[in-house]
Amino acid sequence: MRRRAAAFLLFSALVLSNACSARTNSNRSGGRHQTVDEAGRTITVPDTITRFISLAPNLTEIVYAIGAGDELVGRTTYCNYPAEALKVEAVGDTLKPSIERIIALRPQVVFVSTASQLEAFTSELEAHQIAVYVTDSHDLDGVFHSIEEIAELLGKQSEARNLLTQLKRRVSSVEDKVKSRPQVRVFYQVSDEPLYTIGREAFITDLIRRAGGVSVTADIPGAWPKFSAESALAARPEAIILPTGGSMGDANSSVASALKRSPAAANGRVYKINDDHLSRPGPRSVDGLEDLARALHPEVFSK
Amino acid sequence: MTTAVSDKAIDTNQGLDATRVTPGRTLIVCTLLFVGLVVVVVLMSLLGSERLPRQASLCALATLGKSSCGLSPDHEAILFDIRLPRILLGAAVGGSLAVAGASYQSLLRNPLAEPYLLGISNGAAVGTMVALVFMGAHEWTRPLMAFTGALIATLVVYRLAQGRTGATPERLILAGVIVTTFLSSAIVFVTTLMDATRIRSFTFWLLGDLSGTTARLLWLAMFIAVAGAIVLAAHARSLNLLMLGERDAFDLGVEVSRVRLTVFIVASLLVGSSVASSGSVGYVGLVVPHLVRLSLGSDNRITLPAAAICGAIFVVVADTLARTLIAPRELPVGAITALIGAPLFVYLLRRR
Repeated sequence: MRRRAAAFLLFSALVLSNACSARTNSNRSGGRHQTVDEAGRTITVPDTITRFISLAPNLTEIVYAIGAGDELVGRTTYCNYPAEALKVEAVGDTLKPSIERIIALRPQVVFVSTASQLEAFTSELEAHQIAVYVTDSHDLDGVFHSIEEIAELLGKQSEARNLLTQLKRRVSSVEDKVKSRPQVRVFYQVSDEPLYTIGREAFITDLIRRAGGVSVTADIPGAWPKFSAESALAARPEAIILPTGGSMGDANSSVASALKRSPAAANGRVYKINDDHLSRPGPRSVDGLEDLARALHPEVFSK
Repeated sequence: MTTAVSDKAIDTNQGLDATRVTPGRTLIVCTLLFVGLVVVVVLMSLLGSERLPRQASLCALATLGKSSCGLSPDHEAILFDIRLPRILLGAAVGGSLAVAGASYQSLLRNPLAEPYLLGISNGAAVGTMVALVFMGAHEWTRPLMAFTGALIATLVVYRLAQGRTGATPERLILAGVIVTTFLSSAIVFVTTLMDATRIRSFTFWLLGDLSGTTARLLWLAMFIAVAGAIVLAAHARSLNLLMLGERDAFDLGVEVSRVRLTVFIVASLLVGSSVASSGSVGYVGLVVPHLVRLSLGSDNRITLPAAAICGAIFVVVADTLARTLIAPRELPVGAITALIGAPLFVYLLRRR
């Protein structure tokens, strides 16, 4: 008997929640249109978006940079920049956001980054008529493309144009400076124990190339491979980059013991760079590019 | 039933098997296996993601690194600073886990007893995790906390298993299951509180990983493996008699509770040491002792030392696969031991 009552309660709750979401949808005035996100999925989004959620720190940074932060109604606990973002309600971290809270916030669109692997609840959100837009950038141009696409969805095209002009100017300034310099062979240490690095699909591989370097693991399949210590040493990197600090705290702040004999460590060419500039494909990636270029080619930045 | 078995034991006075185990035979088997281990260590140190000149490497290994034999400094560093320490750590871990597993199986008279089943590995893992999250990344906090965790888990299991009638093997296994599941939940709980960057390296570590050890921790792991294996092997006769049942063992003059406590503590030190240095390398403590018993019989005087050496060989070979299969990328060694171990174990079970 009690079981049956519980089942009935559950059932009516489901019906009610469906009814609620149906109502909020019909209340939204204005049309909808179809668009294709960066994962190649066709999604239907409202023409005017006034409530949305970001489930990745880089996307939160993008929406603030294009002046759409006021319409952000939910973020993850990792979204800690800019400071205003901290006032927005957190819906959990990137791996385990609370679906209930997301639905309760009634967003029209949820922005997701491929780094966070969120396929599991994409369908659940879409069942509640919440569009999920997936970004997927593997190089700096991809980041700029994401900024344009997000701005178009949110109606911030002119802001995005200004932002991109500035960012691209800074990028070409760096590229001009390092153009004539010899490429520096770089090992990028994602974590020391176990030894992780960046592979072909990591967007940082492109940043290093633009900063006048070349990642010694640029041809390795995958984005974040676990890497053989002996191969890392045999690649004879001239510089080692340690992404650390920022949200990482003091993790990954020393060179893996196997690499202490590398030319980079022997010549003192080990550089710590704020991980938030490097691991978040967004506007601050250009800061990361400048940090990298300064580390790899200090001679052209000294003036 | 027990009297029948004990009669047989007293009758042969050598163990439970038809095969006679003499000190001479033990010495011969162990010497042969040890030579096998040395050969495997040398062969496996010729393999890796980087190709080293074979003859020069062999020559350098033969001189124990005193002469470079024409190896470039880079190659020398790869061979002696990266590859060899990792192989030796694999041997220490494999030996520790296999001899600990074999001892648990005799002590609990349960062929499925294993450091993992008893919650001891999880205790060590929780200890390591506490060290990682709350005590910073200091070199010594990790093994120290892993020992502590393994010991606490062992003592808790041991206390839980003590009923009014003493600790029956069934109660011990049940207590182990309770502690294992409780600690697994604790691990999940703490990983949820960890930040994203730590979760990644922690989950990889949980799967078993032999890369990245310091020289001092390597010596510690090797010392504990050898000393622990010797202590356990010294209790082989008592463990043989314990396999007949505790009462019979007691009647035959075994100080049951002292032996049980010693074996428990030493085995948990072995497990703690290997979990601290390499995470959870599964199936070693289960598969290796069974293979050894199948081929050499179940007298612990030969099973324990042989399991230690075979465990070392098993993990060194498995880790070589982990290092080379998708080189220069790497697999976790725990995945390899499970991939080899699980089917092998099913085969062994079906053959019985």
